[in-house]
Amino acid sequence: MRANFPVRLGPAEDALIAQLKAAGADATAERITVAGLPTRRVESYHYTDLKTLLRAIPPLATAANEASAPALRIPGAFNLMIANGVIQNAATAPAGVIVGKAHGGVLTTRDDVLVHINGALAKEALTLTLENSVDPVIQVERRIEGEAAHVADALKVFVADNASATIVETFSGSDAAHVGNHATYLSVGKNAVATHITIDLSARAVSHFATNEYQLADGAKLRTLVIHAGAGLARTHVFPRMAGAEAHADLTGLNLVSDGQHADITMETLHAVPHTSSQPLFKSIVRGRAKAVVQGKLVVARDAQKTDAKFMHQGLMLSDEAEILSKPELEIYADDVVCGHGSTCGMIDEDSLFYLMSRGIPKAEAETMLVRGFIAELFDSIEDEELNEALQGIVDGWLMGRQ
Amino acid sequence: MTTPVLEIRNLHARIDEREILKGVNLIIPPGEVHAIMGRNGSGKSTLSYVLAGKEDYEITEGEILLNGENILEMEPDERAAAGLFLAFQYPIEIPGVATMTFLKAALNAQRKARGEAELTTPDFMRAVKEAGTQLNIDNDMLKRPLNVGFSGGEKKRAEIMQMALLKPSLAVLDETDSGLDIDALQVVSKGVNALRDGQRSMLVITHYQRLLNHIVPDVVHVFSDGRIVESGDKDLALKLEAQGYASYGGEAA
Repeated sequence: MRANFPVRLGPAEDALIAQLKAAGADATAERITVAGLPTRRVESYHYTDLKTLLRAIPPLATAANEASAPALRIPGAFNLMIANGVIQNAATAPAGVIVGKAHGGVLTTRDDVLVHINGALAKEALTLTLENSVDPVIQVERRIEGEAAHVADALKVFVADNASATIVETFSGSDAAHVGNHATYLSVGKNAVATHITIDLSARAVSHFATNEYQLADGAKLRTLVIHAGAGLARTHVFPRMAGAEAHADLTGLNLVSDGQHADITMETLHAVPHTSSQPLFKSIVRGRAKAVVQGKLVVARDAQKTDAKFMHQGLMLSDEAEILSKPELEIYADDVVCGHGSTCGMIDEDSLFYLMSRGIPKAEAETMLVRGFIAELFDSIEDEELNEALQGIVDGWLMGRQ
Repeated sequence: MTTPVLEIRNLHARIDEREILKGVNLIIPPGEVHAIMGRNGSGKSTLSYVLAGKEDYEITEGEILLNGENILEMEPDERAAAGLFLAFQYPIEIPGVATMTFLKAALNAQRKARGEAELTTPDFMRAVKEAGTQLNIDNDMLKRPLNVGFSGGEKKRAEIMQMALLKPSLAVLDETDSGLDIDALQVVSKGVNALRDGQRSMLVITHYQRLLNHIVPDVVHVFSDGRIVESGDKDLALKLEAQGYASYGGEAA
């Protein structure tokens, strides 16, 4: 059918194809030439129609000459930076942390256009090998500075067997119509414990795309948290592969979406072996005319018996024009599993609001308390106090920016 | 004559198209405890919600004066700052908001509204400890999310503790005895009685006379079909307990 009805390519696609060809990524260029950017007819992009939402692709980034202020300060953190796709020199690493560089992309190939583009355009990857438990939070700042630019960058982290670490990535930069395509591959070794937090704090004009791929070995414990609190258009992929028995992942995320914004968290978890578990919990808060999307797919391989996984998405609408879209999917090939999904959506509870107000708390403050309460369980298990406070600060900042 | 703490004049209120309050008149002087008794569905709880400013009700006629000031145009938080406190029949569970955080926000919001300085953390902790001890409320309970997973007794004790902290000039207790066993009832009543200081007034809304053995009222009002139909001293409660509400007409709910 496609051969008979070639898609009409727009300026964003033309620019993208030229960039891909110049980078020697002919196969990816060809794919976009034939199919275009995905529209709502492509199932995984049904709610985030890239062809409509992504109108322009700016030129590929050149090295950054200036840096804006850090978007998030976490006291005591070990800081690394990738600016406009270029890895910056870092301070001396804490014991057990080996910082390095590798060529090219870090993601496993899969049928996804953003993954393909990152693989084609990311020139170098920051690599972190964590040989033992690392106390300070490791913060990787990804910046896009200067004039509007298209950036693909990559990070690869190995958490060694029995080690533990907390990695926080922040995405920020100048106020221009950047397109960021970021990749992270995080491998969690046997009985290792990893926390991975990615926070989009880009300017409104930015289109932010990130793909987080995880590989979990036997007994590995992973906690992830995606926060969208910046870009006008944001989509983060969460792709864990539960590849070792007794591996467990708490997969969480928060869309904070204001008027005119569109934020999408798309998760696909593969339970590849028996006896693994995952607990995906996502929340969306939307105000004004804006859209939040959470797609959550649990895939259980044929022999992955005793998989225990429950997906949940809860939405809170602060305006009548808010849209919250939820798409849970189960694809189960094993027959002895406990898998489920749930989704709720509502406005601020009037009885709760009245109760708080009846104690003297003014309406706006009472609403803020209820919103914070709605989010609280996502942050409860972040034990590092400085980090927890920094995350609260992001939510408070978003709430104070309310119209 | 001293200004009454509460004066309700010919109050009519309805929800949707249904009139619930049909001309309530009530005066509570400073320091007095008045009880309102009536069968289910007579409009007792509606009166408490209307006093506190719940949005669902439309006031079609009448006035509510708190310490001489008309509060009908006030938001619920403004009424609280003006000295009104409602102890809920069913306190609302608020996940994710620690009880302690809530107490501090409430206390400081009221102080701010009255132009007073915020309490320092040590002063606040002292006040909480003082209010909590008497009601067997420990720190662990205060760290839990507000009312979430609290037993019936814990919820009611937490309500009275809030009242002790917020020091209202008028406390409205809506069916505070419901869901309480005898021991819990005694703890709660003791907490309430400790707040009777000759100035603070209370309106105790109840279904049964039982509560009034513990919180002895100065005046008892019988509520039927949206208005007060008889008033008397505490013996009126005993009479009601013996004879029921049948002689006041209206339909049993």
